[in-house]
Amino acid sequence: MQELKYNEAELVGMLKQRTQSAFNYLYDNYSASLYTVILSILQDKELANDTLQEVFIKIWRQIEQYNPDKGRLFTWMVNISRNASIDILRSKDYHSQKQNRELTENVYNAASTVNIETDKIGLRKIISNLKDDQKILIELAYFQGYTQDEISKFLNMPLGTVKTRLRNALIQLRGLLKR
Amino acid sequence: MNIKDYIESGIIESHVLGLTTAEEAAEVEAMAKEHTEIKQAILDFEILLENQTNKDLIQPDASVKTNLNNILFAANSSEKNITSSQVNAASVHHINLSRYIAAAAIILLIISSGLNFYFYSAFKNSTDKYQALLTERNTLQANNAAYKTKLDEINQSLGMMEDPHMVKIQMNGVKGKEENIATVYWDTRTKEVYVLSNKMDKLPEGKQYQLWAIVDGKPVDAGMIGFDCAGLCKMKVINHAEAFAVTLEKQGGSPTPTLSDMVVIGKVS
Repeated sequence: MQELKYNEAELVGMLKQRTQSAFNYLYDNYSASLYTVILSILQDKELANDTLQEVFIKIWRQIEQYNPDKGRLFTWMVNISRNASIDILRSKDYHSQKQNRELTENVYNAASTVNIETDKIGLRKIISNLKDDQKILIELAYFQGYTQDEISKFLNMPLGTVKTRLRNALIQLRGLLKR
Repeated sequence: MNIKDYIESGIIESHVLGLTTAEEAAEVEAMAKEHTEIKQAILDFEILLENQTNKDLIQPDASVKTNLNNILFAANSSEKNITSSQVNAASVHHINLSRYIAAAAIILLIISSGLNFYFYSAFKNSTDKYQALLTERNTLQANNAAYKTKLDEINQSLGMMEDPHMVKIQMNGVKGKEENIATVYWDTRTKEVYVLSNKMDKLPEGKQYQLWAIVDGKPVDAGMIGFDCAGLCKMKVINHAEAFAVTLEKQGGSPTPTLSDMVVIGKVS
């Protein structure tokens, strides 16, 4: 990753000044990261671009709500991106939209959304190294945005078991990230 | 639960990935405030994730940045801080371009509205003119029909004049009205009488010419000469007469001729 000109605290200060230059700095240095996160969830370039735009508007408008005591700016922005992506995933017209697009793609073979190998980018790349039952839990919880309660019902597994297994999977994940 | 166990429980990872419930999140935040080790553990995992995320980046469409600059700064593009090297010259150019396009669109709209008005006026004008022409054409057609009728009458008259069975009696102007001439055409077979006003004085207001047949020395009404008669005007049937005369009478005629107002007279030869 490229060397950043400003650290997060400086960047937050600049963003609160609400200058266009601060915005463009933010975008130039973080858009690819956030886009990759969004793409790993939505797995559709067109939708991901739309969502990224929405996410940057949220970040710009909600920067005052960012509290550095609670975590890094990067984490905050990733969580906004993930939540926005899951909202899209859950939206009523997402499925019909996707269906329509797939039909269109069959006809025109649009290059923009074909063959995104999201399994080879970011967090998904690491998760592919986990055991299948752990992979499923992280897929449902992180990438699909289901609550542990929902997963418990979905997998017909006690909530406590879901919680424990998910946490174990995450500890495994951290181990893999450290390597 | 000691701090180390807490850190190893997986709750830190759940929290950073946004997988905790609101209560769990509040708990982690409270613990992080109290214990720097927990805070550090959170930061460590955040950085691990961040580095992993940044390993294989995919670039979004360039249009996203352009759109965002338009959305967030369109009303404020004169902002002084644009001088920063971070500002993508292309996006500023794009804003300007958008404005030019917007301005051009407005100008075109105004021109188009103007043209609409112009064309509507022209159309209205044409319609009015067309209506006027239509009226004029109808008038001309009516006139034409009238002329045609008159022409037919004249042709018919000419035909009758050339008919060998027609007796022609020329009536000349009486003393003082010598310039007046009229002619009676009398069909020897049907005894129908026609009169031709060759040259008659213009009628005074309220007056009309009346034809008389002189039968056995007495004037017999032979009909009024119509105002609109073009050629030979058909009069009454007269079986026998020594002479014909025209007098100037009040409109509609008189039962007896006003002899002082006789205009022309001609004897049947």
